[in-house]
Amino acid sequence: MKMRKLIGAITVAGSVAMAVSAQAQDIKLGVVAGMSGPGTSYGIGIRQGAEMAVREINAAGGIKGRKISLVVVDDASNPAQSVTAMQRLVNDQVDLVVGGWGSSQVLANMEVAERAGLPYIVVGATNPKITTEKNKWTFRVIFTDSVQAEQIADAAVRRLGMKRIAVIHDANDYGVGNRDIFVASLKKIGLDPVAVVPYQSADKDFTAQLSRIREANPDGLAIFGTIPAAPAIMNQARDLGIKARFIGTGGLANENLMTLAPKASEGTVLTTYFHEDVDPQARAWADRYVKEFSGGSQPPRPVLAAWEYRAVKFIAVPCIESSGTDKEKLRQCIGRWKGTLFSVPGDAYFDKTGQLVQQSVLVEVGKGAFQAFKGK
Amino acid sequence: MFDQLFIGGLATGCVYAVVGLGFTLVYRTLRMVNFAQGHVFMAGAFLGLVIAERVHLPALPLLFVVGAVAFALGMVLERLVFRRLYHNHEVFIVGSIGLGIVLMNGVRVFFPEPVPFPKVFGSEVVQIGAARFQEGYLWVVLSTLVLVVLLHAMFTYTRTGRALRAVAADAEIAATVGVDVKRAIALTFGLSFAVAAIAGVLIGPLYFVSFDMGDMVGLKAFSAAVFGGINSIPGTILGGLVIGVLENLAGGYISSAYKDLVAFVILLVMLIWRPTGLLGRETPVKV
Repeated sequence: MKMRKLIGAITVAGSVAMAVSAQAQDIKLGVVAGMSGPGTSYGIGIRQGAEMAVREINAAGGIKGRKISLVVVDDASNPAQSVTAMQRLVNDQVDLVVGGWGSSQVLANMEVAERAGLPYIVVGATNPKITTEKNKWTFRVIFTDSVQAEQIADAAVRRLGMKRIAVIHDANDYGVGNRDIFVASLKKIGLDPVAVVPYQSADKDFTAQLSRIREANPDGLAIFGTIPAAPAIMNQARDLGIKARFIGTGGLANENLMTLAPKASEGTVLTTYFHEDVDPQARAWADRYVKEFSGGSQPPRPVLAAWEYRAVKFIAVPCIESSGTDKEKLRQCIGRWKGTLFSVPGDAYFDKTGQLVQQSVLVEVGKGAFQAFKGK
Repeated sequence: MFDQLFIGGLATGCVYAVVGLGFTLVYRTLRMVNFAQGHVFMAGAFLGLVIAERVHLPALPLLFVVGAVAFALGMVLERLVFRRLYHNHEVFIVGSIGLGIVLMNGVRVFFPEPVPFPKVFGSEVVQIGAARFQEGYLWVVLSTLVLVVLLHAMFTYTRTGRALRAVAADAEIAATVGVDVKRAIALTFGLSFAVAAIAGVLIGPLYFVSFDMGDMVGLKAFSAAVFGGINSIPGTILGGLVIGVLENLAGGYISSAYKDLVAFVILLVMLIWRPTGLLGRETPVKV
């Protein structure tokens, strides 16, 4: 009896699979990101952004009558698994990939896309090494650590008036990349950090690192890390009596920061990838997005969702429309892309390395939300 | 700085010690290592979270309820899973690793992201010398003390406790004098689950709780148990405290990059130099 049920289930599953492959006309859009593990709050946003864009495009009749089907794979926020995840997308014969979260993961999985000749638009990784002259198939829409870390270093000294800056950073590619550029930028301005301490992504207790920072008596603390470590550091720093103001880059640009460190995160100044107050279209999109994804098991995370949405809808889809799904033509089309995107002031375009050139946004945490930074 | 590192390390050390006790309890009885222990600690933290979010319990009753539920869960899982596995050490190890993965991913379905834990132990900051820390740290240290005293009293003065010790010493002989060995083993699992879950609730408010929080703590607790002697309760406590304090000091004075290394270097050195651990005794091999 049990056996028969099992066979029944397999047959059903098999016919579903057949039905899916029967619509081979579909354009397959691959999404890879950490939908579990430390990157969850970012990966979920990426998935939601893709879902929203694809739903809208399909509702409007698809691309020249062809629907887009999403293939989402979870890399568990782990570089090794992200290679397997990307390989799955290649085996699934997706037409292009828009996604990727975490510099270490993207540095690992972009190799697979490069080898397979698969156009890959990265939305959630900032290490400068991702877009060099060597990557042929990989593009990136969010700006790199070099832009962000330099900007926040400048803002810390010139706009926030910090004189004794300490740095705590994740020992991964994101954290180290940011630290190097931040420290170099400070030196250019004529300042040396009073302390620089690393931590491991999975650390929960930061007393050891923060005790050292407290000894250095900083007035500003740069945190180059992600959720959940960054809010934990903020909470524990305040418990230890560190009064320094927090600054950081895109790793902190996640609404979960305020959930996990409601009091401690107040006043933090950071660079971000999206803010709804930049222009009315951004605000309209954010309202629509939050409405669509509120009340689910996972709360909306607009920051990276906005990039995923924009990359799919305004860059990938127009290119498929004009160049079809031939991978080489698609790659050339993305490389030539130039246009405007909501929440990005001015024109944006890809440079020779596949990096989207654009102006960045500074925000400050106030009243439990990201506010446009209005400091001096 | 020393005060801060020392007290912080002591608190984490207490958690390693209590979770490590779970390893020790099971090992003493069955000569087997339950690698699900770290994930039981994680599940306990989430159990506490789910209860604390629904009913506003003061700290002590919350610890008690979580301990009781985890105890029952341990007994049930022993009956359903472990009893079928402990006839063979290899089977048991793989089975317990599997159970850990099931626990972790079961929690992950409901809580994919790290979540804050209600501040059930207060959020005041206490200052001792130059060290500042949350009240919660005191709770961790005091609760560990109380747990150890309670366990000691149970093993020494109660009938059940003596039965457990008899089974630990020699299950066959204990059975011939009328001890219900199966029940004793089930109770052991109940106890090991209860202590790990209580540790989970104690640590919850200090950090966030996340489905993967048991990985590292499980490994460190295991190192603590091996360091102190996996069949010795005082040894495990000592092991936990030593590892907790040393790793924090190494993280503060040398480099935080080497923090995790400390526990495992200690484990390696101990396994080479004294495989029975600091206070452990060699188990005589029966012929």
